[in-house]
Amino acid sequence: MASRIRIAALGLPLLALGGAISWASTDAPTPPSAGKPKRIVSINLCADQLVLALADREQIAGVTRNATDAEMSGESAKARGLPVLKNSAEQILAIDPDLIIGMPASRSAPMRALKGHSYNLLDLETANTVDEIYVSIRQTAAAVGHPERGDALVARMQAQLAGIGRSGGGKVAAYYQRRGFMTGTGTLIDDLMRRMGLVNLAAKLGKPPLSQLSIEEMVAARPDYLIVESATDKVADQGTEMLHHPALAGIPRISIPQAWTVCGSPAYVDAARGMARQLARFQDRTHAR
Amino acid sequence: MTISRPLLIAGLIALTLAAAIGSILFGPVHLSLARMIAAFTGHGDRIATTILLELRLPRMLLGLGVGAMLGLAGAALQGYLRNPLAEPSVLGTSNAASLGAVAALYFGLAALHPVVLPVLAVLGALLSLAGLSALAGRSESPLTLILAGIAIATLATAGVSLALNLSPNPFAAMEIMTWLLGSLENRSFEHVWIAYPCIAIGGLLLLWDGRALDALTLGEDGAQALGVDLRRTRIRLLLGTAIGVGGAVAVSGAIGFIGLIVPHLVRPLTDRSPSAILIPSAIGGAALLTFADVAVRLIDTRNELKLGVVTAFLGVPVFLIHLMRERRLW
Repeated sequence: MASRIRIAALGLPLLALGGAISWASTDAPTPPSAGKPKRIVSINLCADQLVLALADREQIAGVTRNATDAEMSGESAKARGLPVLKNSAEQILAIDPDLIIGMPASRSAPMRALKGHSYNLLDLETANTVDEIYVSIRQTAAAVGHPERGDALVARMQAQLAGIGRSGGGKVAAYYQRRGFMTGTGTLIDDLMRRMGLVNLAAKLGKPPLSQLSIEEMVAARPDYLIVESATDKVADQGTEMLHHPALAGIPRISIPQAWTVCGSPAYVDAARGMARQLARFQDRTHAR
Repeated sequence: MTISRPLLIAGLIALTLAAAIGSILFGPVHLSLARMIAAFTGHGDRIATTILLELRLPRMLLGLGVGAMLGLAGAALQGYLRNPLAEPSVLGTSNAASLGAVAALYFGLAALHPVVLPVLAVLGALLSLAGLSALAGRSESPLTLILAGIAIATLATAGVSLALNLSPNPFAAMEIMTWLLGSLENRSFEHVWIAYPCIAIGGLLLLWDGRALDALTLGEDGAQALGVDLRRTRIRLLLGTAIGVGGAVAVSGAIGFIGLIVPHLVRPLTDRSPSAILIPSAIGGAALLTFADVAVRLIDTRNELKLGVVTAFLGVPVFLIHLMRERRLW
């Protein structure tokens, strides 16, 4: 089962990134009606994580298909046992939710199908920096009727992040995904790199938020670190096989579960911590030499 | 327009060499000639050496090997079936081998032992050829063979899609495309070691029967009268095609039409006997596929073009011309 999950999770950042580009929306969230919502439905994997972190379990009437997948969602344990939606308008009709949270909810396929019905919607923006994560957390917390939890969570994250050092030292790193996709600036990954004091290779080469870089170009660019999704640590198909090409063997690797980075969620702290720990290990090794 | 055989072979080898050199020279990273020479003489910087020896060299070798195998298989099948449209991809052999390779990779069987991947690809190819002879073996019309080939190719393509959909892989669509269109991107020497033994065995089995193929131009009875053991010839041909094409496809995916185009290009330059086009087709196939693979790298697209796209654009016109000529038989 573990390997199934790993394979299933392979390149979500890629998809999420595509979303980040096309969903640059500025819709203001609809304010929730009076009282705490009792049947909250999340129709987006990233919204799942915020709802699970901030709402009471009894309030949640539905999460998405991948919410229980530990490789994709930082809050998967909490999602277990909750009703899972298959992105279908029918299920939403049956639940008759009093709050639908999406990213954004109003433009998702099931909501388009339910055009004639009016629901209370919360449109979250895709978070590409830690500050945008804080905004999403506060919006969600207010919408589910627990604004104090949002403030507490943000304060906790800020305190934890303050304790993590900048161990990158201006070194160049590339976030390299299956089939040679490289994550660029304006993304959560880039935000993490800058927090670590790393320089994103994509920024150095002037590449867009998602670009494809051949192994040859990667060898020529010679980054100090490759940051990969932990799901690609094992060869599962042609797409992951290329990340294990012998020509890349000499570049130190930092491996981060994509569950921590695919969404703007509280797991950002885990990603920062994991990255800092692995960077520190590499630096100890170079000092020892 | 027959030209002497040594001249033809020398010319084709020269073309192949040019393709091979092009394959080493061109890539997404520009390397100066001086840096390349230094890398090949062992004094190069680490980047140039890695790019040339670990990336471009295996890719060139695979282009040559896979191309030679596909060209040779096309020539042998056209001779044996006495059908100008016979070719591994048209007959569904390549797609069936893809299916075997996909099953090996995506269900984790390839991780058990390196030999599993080519073995399953060869088995896939073998099954498709067996199915083909069951469907169209006795028929005289080239059309029956082509239709049977389409049925098998479609079935194998559906099988590849199904296998990828069933496997827990969210990138099924992207992986399906690579397997069905073929690519030599990001290959390493590991792939060379998988493909070359199969190509060598398959190639030898196919070259064995040159004389039998010539005799078969007189029909099966005529060939038997000349002392050809038809049963053994058939087994060698099927095995040779399956092993060679299976091994090639296991590393490159199903690259179409090379086996169709090349024999038609070289045939007018020979005495047109099936045996005379075998070796020129192999060399020509190596040159054509390697040139196509250089073109894939030179044509500037956002994402690298798939090899099968280029070969299909080259091959479909040849296919159509010959199909039109066959019209009187429809």
